[in-house]
Amino acid sequence: MDVTKFVLVIAALSWLMARGTERLGYNWQWYRITQYILSSANGDFFAGPLLHGLIVTLRITAMSLLLAFIFGLVTALFRLSNSFLARVLARGYLECIRNTPLLVQLFFIYFVLSPVFDMSRFASAVLALSLFEGAYASEIFRSGIVSLQRGQWEAAYSLGLSTFHNYRYIILPQAIRRVLPPLTNQAISLVKDSALVSTIAIYDLTMQGRAIIAETYLTFEIWFTIAAIYLLITVSLSVVVNTMEKRIGVTT
Amino acid sequence: MQEEVLGGHIIIVNKITKTFPNGVRALHDFSTKIRRSEVVVVIGPSGSGKSTLLRCLNGLEEIDSGSIVIDGIPLDDNKNNRSAIRKEVGMVFQSFNLFPHMTVFENVTLAQRLVRKKSKQESMDTTMDLLRKVGISEKADSYPSQLSGGQQQRVAIARALALMPKVMLFDEVTSALDPEMINEVLEVMKTLAREGMTMVVVTHEMGFAREVSDRVIFMEQGRIVEEGTVQHFFTDPKEARTKRFLSQIL
Repeated sequence: MDVTKFVLVIAALSWLMARGTERLGYNWQWYRITQYILSSANGDFFAGPLLHGLIVTLRITAMSLLLAFIFGLVTALFRLSNSFLARVLARGYLECIRNTPLLVQLFFIYFVLSPVFDMSRFASAVLALSLFEGAYASEIFRSGIVSLQRGQWEAAYSLGLSTFHNYRYIILPQAIRRVLPPLTNQAISLVKDSALVSTIAIYDLTMQGRAIIAETYLTFEIWFTIAAIYLLITVSLSVVVNTMEKRIGVTT
Repeated sequence: MQEEVLGGHIIIVNKITKTFPNGVRALHDFSTKIRRSEVVVVIGPSGSGKSTLLRCLNGLEEIDSGSIVIDGIPLDDNKNNRSAIRKEVGMVFQSFNLFPHMTVFENVTLAQRLVRKKSKQESMDTTMDLLRKVGISEKADSYPSQLSGGQQQRVAIARALALMPKVMLFDEVTSALDPEMINEVLEVMKTLAREGMTMVVVTHEMGFAREVSDRVIFMEQGRIVEEGTVQHFFTDPKEARTKRFLSQIL
């Protein structure tokens, strides 16, 4: 029954699209796409520009994910700390980042900071993305931490655990399990936001696509292919997290 | 030497006052002294400050004025003193507060490893001894959510004992339990009392008080209304307020 519904929906969508492009008078040339992903000559395979771009996107995303996790966690702990300075710092960072566009932050880091600190294009991109996503991640971590019952803190305290040990063994393991789903959302946002780095001439997936379109005018084919590749990354990410959740048994 | 200075008292509470930010005064010039191996049962209506008293005794709540000295160590702003006291005072909560992401074994072992810096083997032996003592060694590898309330509370007692504290605080530890599980927890506590543990127990289990307590304190509005042996409370309580309260819980 569900399968029939699914097929019907897909059929309806395809029909809509076919009608739409017909009206547009667009000449679809899907057969030209494969060479941009993978090309072969003399029995050897060569990665096309889109695959090169994918690798750049993956590298940027992976490094930013790791850094965003750290920024987020540290900021959350700062916001919950007893130190006034730490709280102010964390709050300032959060509000600055959350209330300005990522594109502006990227430009600021690339055009203003990177010449001062002698950062590469790639480093600027990773820094901008991780600072941006880290701000959002910090709120996720914070909500996870404060959602734990006060009794957990009190029990750990009464056992003589230090604040560090308390976070390390009691609070964070439980909090992170709780916030895994929203954290995954944030990671998916990061993957998609990484497309913005094409604006500082990093040849990621999006930039490669634009370059191909400029040469070939295969506008829709390329953009749809790129969208499909992003979809592939984000879906794999969700699957990985899902299995992780099952393995560590997200309960509480 | 120390003993003489303290006059054999392991806990000395002198005129402590605690007012919560919402203006509720939980403790009002409260003073008491508790001897080594003494078992003190604290009773009183809800909101009388019983739980706050326990929470102040191990530093979970800050006192506004007065002083608390435990085993010769003042509970003041000095961080070392505070952490020393936390190690000497074990606490068991009404809502168990076991760590749900750890097994029973890990719950009991954690503080031994982190706080007492015991070796793996040593902490393992202690943990298994304690679990046997509270009659739950076969559940060592279970998670708290797989245990009944009574079992969880026994694990919580074992966890608090793991640091070899000199004083144990029990905060209405049977109030959240089904009636048929109350006894298994009380039995463990009675054993502890007979072994000479200094205990401060907030409870309305007068049967427990009758069997093992040396002294009963009846509190209301942050003050001691009446105190004495359990016989005194059962036979001739002086204050009208005490009589009324007892008639309700007995």
